[in-house]
Parts: sequence; C-alpha cells; structure tokens
Amino acid sequence: MAETTHTTPNKSARTASAQRLGFVAGLRENWLYWLILVILVLFPFIIGWLSGDSPFGAPRGDRMVMRGESVYAQSILINIFALAVLVMSYNLMFGFTGVISFGHALFFGLGGYLMGIILEFGGMDPNLGLLVSLVVVLAVTGVLGFIVGLVSLRLRGIYFAIFTLAIAEMGWLFFRGLEITNGEDGLNIASMPEWIDPARNRILVYYVGLALFVLTFVLIRRLVNSPVGSVFQAIRENEERAQVLGYNTLRYKLFSITVAGMLAGLAGMLLAIMNKEARPEILNVSVTVDALLMTIIGGVGTFTGPVIGASGLHLLDTFLREAVITIGPLTIDIGERWTLILGFIFVLVVLIFPYGVVGTWKRLQMRFRRNK
Amino acid sequence: MTTNTDKLLDVRDIHTFIGQFHILEGVSVSVPRGAITVLLGRNGAGKTTTLRSIMGLNQVTQGDITYMNDSLVGKSAHKIAQMGIGYVPEHRAIFKELSVRENLQIAARQKGDLENNLDFVFELFPDLKRLIDLPGGNLSGGQQQMLAIARALVPDNSLLLIDEPSEGLAPIIIQELISAIRTLAANKTVLLVEQNFRVATLLADYFVIIDDGHSVASGNMSDLHKEHELVQRYLGVA
Repeated sequence: MAETTHTTPNKSARTASAQRLGFVAGLRENWLYWLILVILVLFPFIIGWLSGDSPFGAPRGDRMVMRGESVYAQSILINIFALAVLVMSYNLMFGFTGVISFGHALFFGLGGYLMGIILEFGGMDPNLGLLVSLVVVLAVTGVLGFIVGLVSLRLRGIYFAIFTLAIAEMGWLFFRGLEITNGEDGLNIASMPEWIDPARNRILVYYVGLALFVLTFVLIRRLVNSPVGSVFQAIRENEERAQVLGYNTLRYKLFSITVAGMLAGLAGMLLAIMNKEARPEILNVSVTVDALLMTIIGGVGTFTGPVIGASGLHLLDTFLREAVITIGPLTIDIGERWTLILGFIFVLVVLIFPYGVVGTWKRLQMRFRRNK
Repeated sequence: MTTNTDKLLDVRDIHTFIGQFHILEGVSVSVPRGAITVLLGRNGAGKTTTLRSIMGLNQVTQGDITYMNDSLVGKSAHKIAQMGIGYVPEHRAIFKELSVRENLQIAARQKGDLENNLDFVFELFPDLKRLIDLPGGNLSGGQQQMLAIARALVPDNSLLLIDEPSEGLAPIIIQELISAIRTLAANKTVLLVEQNFRVATLLADYFVIIDDGHSVASGNMSDLHKEHELVQRYLGVA
C-alpha cells in the first residue's frame, strides 16, 4: 500500500501537492503584497523599536496612556486604513464599473452615525452594541445602496451623479439638524467597548483597521478578477456592448453600488471608532470629492492606486498641514494654503501621470515590454 | 421572396425616432433562415438604426419585429440577446481593456459555451489563438473585427446582425472576413449591413435597400445586377 502511494500518488495527495504548488506560486506572484502585509503587521513594534516608545502606550498607574511615537503612527495608519477602504469602495464603483457618484459620503457617514446612535442610545452592553452596529450598518448601507441605485441608475451620466449628490446632501442636512446627535457639533461616542477604545487600546483598533483594509483589498481583487468583475469592466468600457451580449447591466451596476456602499459604511464605522465621534462633516460632499481625487491620483481602475492615493494625500495632509516654511524673510504657513497646495498637487499629478500614479506606471511597463 | 415559415426574423413597417428625429419611417425586412441578407443603402439611410431597433437599442414606436414568432418590440437589449441574436456593432466594438480571452469569455452565456465553440472560432479566425492573452486594444483593425465577430459566435446564437464588417479594412483582410462569414453562415442566419457593394455581392443571398428611412426594394442578390437603375438610384454604383 505504501509503495503504491509512493509510485502513483492518490488523488488527495496530488491535490495537496497542487495546493502546495499553488500556494508557493501565489506567494511568488504576490510577494510584494505579502511583504507589505508583514511590515504593516509589525509596524507598531518597528516604530516602537526605532523610537524607544512602547506600541501599547505609556504606563500611568494601573493603566496605559496613549502616548508615544508608535501610538501616534498607529493613529495615522488607522485613518489611512479608513480612507483607503472608502477610496477602494469608490474605485469599485467608479474605476471598475464606470458609475460616477457624488453621494458616496452618505454611506460613509451613515456607518459612523448608525454605530454612534446604537452605542449611545441602544442601552445594550457595548460589545453587543458593536456587533449590532456592524449588522445594522451593513444592512442599512446595503439596502440604501440598492434603493438609491434602483431609482437613480435609470438616469444616465451626469443626471445620475446629480441625483446621488442631492441624496447625500439631504443626509448631511438631516444629521446636521438632528438634535439627538447634537446637530453641527456631532455625536460623541463614549460607550465604546474597552477592547476597541482607541483611548485605552490603540493597538487593537490598529489591527481591526488593518484587518478591514486587507479584507476589503482581497474582496475587491477577487471580485474584479471574477467573471462578474469582467462584466463590471465591460460596462465601464461600453454599457451598450455589454447589454447586447445578454447582460442585464442594471443588475450588475446595482451589485457594484451596493457592495461599494456597504464597504464605505464599514470605513465610516472605523473612522468613528478612531475619533470616538460622528460629525456631520463625514457626510459632506467634500468626502466624496476627496475619494474621487484620491482614486484619480492613485489610478482609476487599479487595485493599488486608491491605496496610494489615500495614503499619499493623507500623509501630505498630516505632515504639511501644520508646516511653516521660512525662506529668508518669507514665511509660508502651509496650513493656511493647504487647499490651494492640494489643488496644485492634483493638477501636477494629472499632467505628469495622466492615468494616475499606478495607471501610468502600468502603461509604461506595458510599453517597455512591447519594445523589448 | 420567402414564405412565412422560412422567416427567422420579420421586421414589419417599423418606425423609430432618435430624440425628435424620425429616422425609420416604414422599414420592412424579411430574413430567411439559413441565408445571408444584406441591408444596402447610402450613408444615413437608416441601415444601422434598423439593426439597433431589432436589438432594442432604439425604441420602435410603430410596427412589429418578430423573431421565431416572438415579438421583440418593447423587449430590452439583453433579453433580445438572450433569445439567440448576436450583434456585432460597427467600429469593431470589442472591449479594448480586456484580453482576447476575456472578450471571448464574457460572451459566454452558459457554462460550456466557450469550450464548445472555441475550436470553431479558432478554425475561422486562427490569428486569435496566438493573440489570446493580448489586450483587445493592441490588436489591428482586422483582428479586432474578427474578435468582434468571434464574440458573437461563442453563445449559441441563431441569428447574427453584423454592421459594416469591412469598414476601414485592407482588401486582403476583407477577403478573409468574407470567407469567414460565408463559413459561419452554414450554421447561422446572418443579417448584414454593408456599404461596400462588391463585398455585399460576394456575401449575400438576399438584399433589402433602405433609402431615407424606408425600405424601397428587396429580392435575390443574384437579380440585383440586372436592376441597373435601382442600383444607380439608391446605391450610387454604376
């Protein structure tokens, strides 16, 4: 029996061998992604080691205070994770399916507000409240995405964009005037489960954010590389051609906008957890415009472009917003002119990288391979 | 021309508007099963709009279109495609950012469509086999047209609507396309729009002439040569 197994491996052995080979090939093909993942997993500890600060914060009595370089760096990355999930979700809809919406902030804002309302007014144990929030956010953003899509996707191009803008603005006005969430001041979320409270346990919020970021990236990559993803891309290129191949394009666009809405809701939840508040600004059209700019700067219809766009602009925002440059007698307060500088960066990127950073890089690679 | 039972597609006196413009003002086309029928006419006569109206891409306001005795009027484009009508639009309508393989895969409506028909597709268009992993946008004009036609052959379509297959192609490529269309017509019914009268003559069994939104003449292609006045008046060919 043993000899037989050695000379002609049985089916399960062959399958295991093929799986091992597939795993190795997958590792080789995606080595850069794996490397980045390892760095991100170790990031709090790397910064802690470099700076000498603990990634868990500074001890004060019997508890930890969230201070030190590592904790600060974790905050920046949690914000980047939330933004990147938002921008990746926008890219699924805009970059891969060709649906341009100005109402994406509605889903992002709802994620934060719904969680805040459930945790603050639900009267539940915070852990149960968080679980209920997760379910409610996914259900509400999914259903809302479906309904908004169903009503508005029958409109074409700019009319669709204007309709989604109007819906999102209604959401913004609604929460700005809502008394129980303190209107313009926003809702403070104090009833947070201790394990995910960024004021007590930043490193766990970091790993929750990282998990959401990685899962979103993998989900979008698998979806776009599936037959459904090919139909998304066909719709983006020419919807009529997809229709005459027998595809009900409305159904596919609805699917795309629903998934994108749910992911944006989760991104909003993460940001609200990190900031321990939900403010009306997260529903503002500027959130959607930022997501659009980050998608374009990173590379429309690419997997890594939105991540590069979101992290690049957030890092610039974080480090340049407070910067003051002095050249001789001239002192420039960058923070005061930040919007102007952002506009300049956008113009520059569009001129130098017409397909976004990743899109242009990919095209250059293709041209290089063709000329070789 | 044909009896009712021979007709796979029957377009009866259709009227179509694009915006406010009344483009088709009474077009009738009978497409016999197993033959190639060509729509002839000058630029802007309404040939492409006729194909688009059949596919449900332009709304028919009057008249009827029946395919295998089912009315197509009011049906959406994807439903019409699912009934077994393949449409190859003008200007080599492939998906340029998808690879040749993905262009073919996306056309499969049922599991096994691609596997069952791929050999026939490669037999018809051998070039596509070696280009299978290239993005559609990297193909030449002729290769793109071949891919567009191949895509319509992946699902089990009974009727193919092909719009201007020879447009902008070199004579040698046109010759290849003529041969391919004749081969595929052994198993499929074809309704073709063709500006090139010589190509139409080589390909078609039947013709319908459309002029200014009306169908003005129809019959056997072999008889059209004798109708010098008709050809000169509506097609401008001496």
